[in-house]
Amino acid sequence: MADVESTPGEGIHIEGLRKRYGRGETAVDALKGADIAVAAGEVVGLVGPSGSGKSTLLKCLGAVTEPSGGRMTLGGRVIYDEGWRIPDLRALRRDRIGFVFQAPHLIPFLNVTDNVALLPMLAGHANADARARARELLEALDVGHRAQAMPSQLSGGEQQRVAIARALVSRPPVILADEPTAPLDSERALGVIGILNRMAREYRTAVIVVTHDEKIIPTFERIYHIRDGRTHEELGEGRMST
Amino acid sequence: MISLAGRDILHGWGKYVFTGMGLGLLIGVTLSMAGIYRGMVDDAAVLLDNSGADLWVVQQDTLGPYAEPSSLYDDLYRGILTLPGVAQAANVTYLTMQVRPAGDAARERRAMVVGVVPGGFGEPGQPRFLVAGRRLTRGHYEAVADLSTGFRLGEQVRIRRHLYRVVGLTRRNVSSGGDPMVFIPLKDAQEAQFLKDNDAIIQQRHRTAVNPLFNRPGQPEVLEAVLAAQTQSTSVNAVLVRLDAGADPDRVAADIRRWKRLGVYTRAEMNEILQAKLIATSARQIFMFLVILSLVSAAIVAFIIYTLTLGKIREIAILKLIGTRNRTIAAMILQQAIGLGLIGFVVGKTAATFWAPVFPKYVLLLPSDAARGLLVVVLICALASLFAIRTALRVDPAEAIGG
Amino acid sequence: MLFPTPNRRALALLSILLPLVLAAVWLALTSGPLAPVPVTVAVVEERAIAPALFGIGTIEARYRYRIGPTVAGRVRRVEVQVGDRVHAGQLLGEMDPVDLDERVAAQDAALRRAEAGVAAARAQVTDARARLEFAGAQVRRYEQLLQARTASEDTVEARRQEAQVAEAGLATALANLESAEQDLLRVRAEREALARQRGNLRLLAPVDGLVVARDAEPGSTVVAGQAVVELVDPATLWIDARFDQLGSGGLRAGLEARIALRSRPSETLAGSVLRVEPQADAVTEELRAKIAFARLPEPLPRLGELAEVTLALASQPPAPALPNAALQWRDGQLGVWRLVDAGPRFAAIETGLRDLDGWVQIGAGLTGGDRVVLYSQAPLRPGRSVKIVEAIPGVLR
Repeated sequence: MADVESTPGEGIHIEGLRKRYGRGETAVDALKGADIAVAAGEVVGLVGPSGSGKSTLLKCLGAVTEPSGGRMTLGGRVIYDEGWRIPDLRALRRDRIGFVFQAPHLIPFLNVTDNVALLPMLAGHANADARARARELLEALDVGHRAQAMPSQLSGGEQQRVAIARALVSRPPVILADEPTAPLDSERALGVIGILNRMAREYRTAVIVVTHDEKIIPTFERIYHIRDGRTHEELGEGRMST
Repeated sequence: MISLAGRDILHGWGKYVFTGMGLGLLIGVTLSMAGIYRGMVDDAAVLLDNSGADLWVVQQDTLGPYAEPSSLYDDLYRGILTLPGVAQAANVTYLTMQVRPAGDAARERRAMVVGVVPGGFGEPGQPRFLVAGRRLTRGHYEAVADLSTGFRLGEQVRIRRHLYRVVGLTRRNVSSGGDPMVFIPLKDAQEAQFLKDNDAIIQQRHRTAVNPLFNRPGQPEVLEAVLAAQTQSTSVNAVLVRLDAGADPDRVAADIRRWKRLGVYTRAEMNEILQAKLIATSARQIFMFLVILSLVSAAIVAFIIYTLTLGKIREIAILKLIGTRNRTIAAMILQQAIGLGLIGFVVGKTAATFWAPVFPKYVLLLPSDAARGLLVVVLICALASLFAIRTALRVDPAEAIGG
Repeated sequence: MLFPTPNRRALALLSILLPLVLAAVWLALTSGPLAPVPVTVAVVEERAIAPALFGIGTIEARYRYRIGPTVAGRVRRVEVQVGDRVHAGQLLGEMDPVDLDERVAAQDAALRRAEAGVAAARAQVTDARARLEFAGAQVRRYEQLLQARTASEDTVEARRQEAQVAEAGLATALANLESAEQDLLRVRAEREALARQRGNLRLLAPVDGLVVARDAEPGSTVVAGQAVVELVDPATLWIDARFDQLGSGGLRAGLEARIALRSRPSETLAGSVLRVEPQADAVTEELRAKIAFARLPEPLPRLGELAEVTLALASQPPAPALPNAALQWRDGQLGVWRLVDAGPRFAAIETGLRDLDGWVQIGAGLTGGDRVVLYSQAPLRPGRSVKIVEAIPGVLR
């Protein structure tokens, strides 16, 4: 994880990212050219209707789906340029991308601390170090008091905060958040966005929030709209008070 | 490093342990089946051990006395005793029949009634050890029974016409078919088997003597001639021979075969007869069952592991998405499968040990079988987890992100 | 938190798995080949052994009277039934005399004729004697006359001749009488013989006894020596007992016997060995002996009934003894498993007397107080760990 430490602040840049499913006449172009640039510490929104290519973009950003063309730079390193430039996508995901999902998707059989500490542990860090880092993050996210609880014992907001902690634990240059506020009421949703903003700043991480949640859209400084596989950048309405 | 398998098991241990116990009962059945097979083989071995004989002398051209009927005159043993190398020779009769306590027909048992010379401790054919009571001392109407007959000390049991008092109990004295043995004095056993005991002879003499056809007035020699004609030796099933230390069984056997014109089997040959001829079919039957049970167990383990894995498919997708390696996930499933197998094995072994004594026939659980069983269980679990692992590895991490 | 959640779960899991593993280990140690064999202990003790013999016999009568005719003939009647008690001299039956009575009548006639012959002969003697006296008187008278010369010499000679004739006549008459008397004796003897024969056809009881068989019915023909009725003297019932030759060394006359009849198994009767038959049965390998009842049981045992006889041999002085269940055979030696600190160890022994209750005197190899294995749940071998118990598990009491 040495490179994780060396690359804060670089953010994520994609240029002309394309994705085509299938071949020949039945081929579908899900992405026709997406351009996104998020700096470290910045939180942007990614908004689009169903079928707009939002999910495909997210999967490509998350390095689980191979794009058909274009270029991605993550933390100052080109990871995709008409082909993967990284041999181990799994390690890339583990070390350099944080995921926050609509549902928290915590591992039900691990307690909160171990859910957060799992990635460093799997990466070969000492359990004690990993847990210490996890607890530090949990404290920072105000769920330190639930460190020994099981995910099923947490409220939705707490679960989402633990999920954010998990995404942050490897200090990734980018966090991909897929509808992180969908199951939450507006107060909690705003709280989560606040946390993401705070964490982005604190950990110098670029955060892309995929959402169509009306409650939180106004909070972004910049918003990428995606329609028919193309992105359009807009300035958002405001900035969070936090 | 964190043990995902262990944490998963801890999380859902109730389901896991009970699944393991269910599997354990199945493994217990499989182990018992192996035990039944071993028990059959051991029954045959113990029959030979308990007889304490080095040679079995039987009727010519028969596989007696266990596998085929054999009948010998009961004075032949005297001639055998004179052969060099022979230390002891004892008459013995074997007859499988129904034996029941006097006045309690409900507790009737199928038993192998063995006729031995009473008082001849240590002679071949005698029970090797007792668990209660004493050995036969009287020449008539006493019995030493195997524990599994359920007879009690002092109880009277009826064999054919006569009542026998149970004076001793022994254990693990069974026929090759697993029927418990009941030892009675040889002469009583001869009567039971051939209905031509001493009483019968005496009565026959008396009958002849009072028959005016044979007992002609003035011609006493007629009676003598008739009695002489009726006086023939009674029969036994086999003569058990114990050899002098250092005597070569094959040579003595050859001597008896050649000069006495009798069938003789050494221990090795007798073992072959019992194992290969008497119990071979049943043993193969059990073995088939064992194979099928093993296959069924394997299928069930595979199914259980597969189901457990399918239940975690979402977690596996997340794990993969956040960058968990395939071998970590495979190891998790494999460890769980083997853990399930181990729990199952311990439960199965314990259960089999508990219920083995309840079986009507002997169930022998060998530690080597248990070790082999453990190995097979682990192997089967490992193989069975392959399906689940394959499924888990095919999970697309993108599924975690959703559509 | 005193118990963090995962630890509590781990504890719960352990609380299930640990007993399971413990149970498995416990079972492996207690029921597998590693488990100690439960054994019970017998202590060698000084004990006076009363060896005994056990035999089987049948009730027989010492004397059996087979009553039948001495000559072939037909049975006329039989007076008694099986089971009747009879006394000495009682008529049991009778043979058909056929012509015997007629022959007696003929003999009677012959007797009377002979008696008449004797009387006639006697009369002739009297007559001849009278003639002789007269002739003697004539001779004496004529001799006086001759002296008186009143008669001639010739006349006297004639008288003398007459007297000699008369003498001869008497002798003849006497001889006739003798003959007639002898004839009478002969006829009388013949008559007597016939009467005897007639009497012999009557079958009489020689002793007081019990009728046990009625072998011929009226009308059937029997030959000489064949029995019509069989009698026994119930006072002389004994047991014809057989003992296995094995261990019957002490069998001798006078031994006390306990008798159990098959019809009365719970009742023990006293008796003693009357005699041991000098001839053993070679086929059945048994010795035979006659056992007499001390007092005849009532009701009388039936002839031929099975009886178990237990003979108490003379009690021997106390010696170290063990129950015979402790004796085992190993590597060609009779011995016992001695319990020493290291476990069971096989010790060869010699045995002495045995009794029917299963006690065996130890000749050599053990002393009083030695502890040996009596019963064991499985065959022992040296060094096998054992567990001493009160009774072997599974033995029903």
